[in-house]
Amino acid sequence: MNTSLNIREKRFIAVVAAIALVFGFTPVANAMHIMEGYLPVGFCIAWGVICIPFLIAGYMSMKKTLKENPKTITLLAMAGAYVFVLSSLKIPSVTGSCSHMTGTGLGAILFGPAPISILGLIVLVFQSTLLAHGGVTTLGANTFSMAVAGPFAAYGIYKLGLKLKINKHVVVFLAAALGDFFTYLITSFQLALAYPSEAGGVAASSIKFLAVFAPTQIPLAIIEGILTVVIIIGLETYAQPELNDLGYLTGGVR
Amino acid sequence: MENSLGKSINFIRTSEKAEHQVTHHHKIGHKHGEGSAIDFYAYASKLRCWNPTFKVVFSFLTLLLCIGLNNPFVSIAVIIGMAYLTVLKGGLSLAAYISVLMIPITFIIMGTIAIGVDFSSQPIGQFNLFLGFGYLFTSVDKLQEMAFLMLKVFGAISAMIMMTLSTPSSEIIGVLRKAHVPKLIIELMNLIYRYIFILMDVFNNMRNSADSRQGYCDFKTSCTTFGSVASNLLVVSLKKANAYYTAMEARGYEGDLIFLEDEKKMPMRHLVIGAAFIIFLIILGIMTH
Amino acid sequence: MREPILKVNNLHYSYGNGNPALDGISVDIYKGEKIAVIGSNGSGKSTFFLNANGVLKADHGEISYQGTVINKKNLRELRKNIGIVFQEADNQIIASTVMAEVGFGPMNLKLPKEEVIERVEEALSYMNILDFKDRPPHYLSGGEKKRVTIADVIAMKSEVIIFDEPTAALDPLNAQMLEEVLVKLGEEGKTMLISTHDVDFAYRWAERAIVFDQGKIIADGTPLDIFKNTGILEQANLKRPAMLDVYEMLVEKKMVADTKDYPTSPQDLKVLLEKQFKFA
Ligand SMILES: Nc1ncnc2c1ncn2[C@@H]1O[C@H](COP(=O)(O)OP(=O)(O)O)[C@@H](O)[C@H]1O
Ligand SMILES: [Mg+2]
Repeated sequence: MNTSLNIREKRFIAVVAAIALVFGFTPVANAMHIMEGYLPVGFCIAWGVICIPFLIAGYMSMKKTLKENPKTITLLAMAGAYVFVLSSLKIPSVTGSCSHMTGTGLGAILFGPAPISILGLIVLVFQSTLLAHGGVTTLGANTFSMAVAGPFAAYGIYKLGLKLKINKHVVVFLAAALGDFFTYLITSFQLALAYPSEAGGVAASSIKFLAVFAPTQIPLAIIEGILTVVIIIGLETYAQPELNDLGYLTGGVR
Repeated sequence: MENSLGKSINFIRTSEKAEHQVTHHHKIGHKHGEGSAIDFYAYASKLRCWNPTFKVVFSFLTLLLCIGLNNPFVSIAVIIGMAYLTVLKGGLSLAAYISVLMIPITFIIMGTIAIGVDFSSQPIGQFNLFLGFGYLFTSVDKLQEMAFLMLKVFGAISAMIMMTLSTPSSEIIGVLRKAHVPKLIIELMNLIYRYIFILMDVFNNMRNSADSRQGYCDFKTSCTTFGSVASNLLVVSLKKANAYYTAMEARGYEGDLIFLEDEKKMPMRHLVIGAAFIIFLIILGIMTH
Repeated sequence: MREPILKVNNLHYSYGNGNPALDGISVDIYKGEKIAVIGSNGSGKSTFFLNANGVLKADHGEISYQGTVINKKNLRELRKNIGIVFQEADNQIIASTVMAEVGFGPMNLKLPKEEVIERVEEALSYMNILDFKDRPPHYLSGGEKKRVTIADVIAMKSEVIIFDEPTAALDPLNAQMLEEVLVKLGEEGKTMLISTHDVDFAYRWAERAIVFDQGKIIADGTPLDIFKNTGILEQANLKRPAMLDVYEMLVEKKMVADTKDYPTSPQDLKVLLEKQFKFA
């Protein structure tokens, strides 16, 4: 302990550390929505702009699917509603805490990453209007981390794993868990970029954010992976025809 | 990292109980946990009859000013102004309002601490703590920045939830449509909004039925149950997607999803007071710069 | 001979899994008729309705509306004039406010907005739910949702209204409300087809009954003739209406004279008894 610290200062640090620990280990976890007001205006716009190409690609792919098969409109909407509902469900946990899936990994595996960018954006809007998670000004940043980066990572890992002929369920686990993990990395980076550390810049700040959110996000990623596998097993057992139906959206899960 | 998410299942209210609660709005959210029934409050709000475009534009401008001016006085003015609108004008109970505001509290505290406290190998800053590998430090300036950031975040959140606590999502979608958001996105939003409640209903029934058969007795069982309920929910939603398309076609749907929207009056008084508040914020921001 | 409003000729439909859901359906429906469509689950009633409205396209056979054969071009005419109230309200309601929901059909008819609003208000008052205008459907009860779905079709001013198992999910009070609406619509000369498993209801409400079994129409006639025909009842797994049993028992036990004036409801029976005992 530094000698220059007086009692009052020590007490203060202790309190800060205690709060950090309590909240660090508070078993409340959810996808990392950056809250309204956290990002300066420039960052809000910049992240929004970065999302645009992905959203346009998603929009185009949706338009094309709809042109070929107009019936897909209700299917796409159901997929969006499903991702929303899945992400608002309390998932089982050992400690009796309440955590939630992001559902985007599963979404990307089932529906493909392109429609998920648009659906994810809409889901984020509803999460902010219906659940007060996330916000309007942080929509761009959140869309990038949760509707673009996470799903694309998950989908990439899924496709790569299938190509490498790894056991399908292991691949699904990795895709969902790492997709979640990737979202967590990106969000921490986004926060660090807006609030770089005085001493160590963006890199040091990233580490701070990663450290603060690690106790909730890492277990969550693992649980998300496990549950996604359980859901996929369920679908394979009794919903093969429906899985084929999804071929409309992606070329299907096979 | 938001708090009180555990209740999120309950607050997406399903048909049975809800209606009775719309009529007795002092009871809203009574049973189903705090910080939750956001969209539900909108239907009960006294501000619901206000023009939705006005509400959306007003709250968005306030939000932008709160963030853009980045000024603690502006933040405080916004927090007070929005609380006045939502609680006193809108008729939401103060307890309910605060619980909604507190939903993101965990994220705010964690995020703000990460910003306010820093690491270094040198014992710099006004306050520091040696952690073996380096120093955790902060300063009065940093702490002030943290406090101001919190004010700003609460200001921003209260500006946004003024809108969500007084405007049902369907009306917000209507405003987006007027703002020329692409038609396909508007259509999807309309459908998704409706389907969310349908799926929630189905989910609640499945969960209750699984629960009544001891499907959540331990962790492993819970995982399997969660998985099968979730996969079943997907199957149901795909079936419903087809049924819906059929029902839409039966009523003449031919590819354009257009809904009738209510036109709500836009009294001059709202416009004047709204503009005055915005100008006040700008002047306050410049004066206290 | 009057012209049928809807003429269905030798309709075949299969969902693509091999088994025909409709297997040669031919039927003529006249304006103002009140028809009960009965038959066990899976016998093809809903499939028939969806074909009649043009949502499903028959593999074979043709449908004419007021003498015009329906093809791709005038399909719209058919949709406009034949409205379906679906079995599950939650599979029909698509909008997020009652007003938008009821306005959906008229908007699709590309009517001017003023007329849409007028029709919506008319339909809502007709169903006694004008107060619900701004409510979201997810905060309505089952019976209220049913009323909204009926208002949906009323707002389209369809000539023919099809109800697919409307009483299935209703409590007695709402079922009563529904029956009153049906009577009211009947008085306005609407043509109605209702599928139902409630034989008592079919017996007292319908003028004509059509029995489906495995994608075929196995009987078409007055409810009285059909419910007296044991062969058909057995084939389609139908019960006899209670009032028919009661009446025949009374006749058999010589407690009332057989006037062939079959009562279909307890009220009818009361009238009959009072009449007979006044003159007896
Ligand atoms: N969407 C569908 N896909 C495949 N088969 C269907 C579908 N809907 C109905 N069927 C089948 O068609 C037959 C007729 O069903 P339906 O018309 O719903 O009967 P009802 O309404 O008389 O109960 C049944 O064998 C049913 O299994
Ligand atoms: Mg049916």
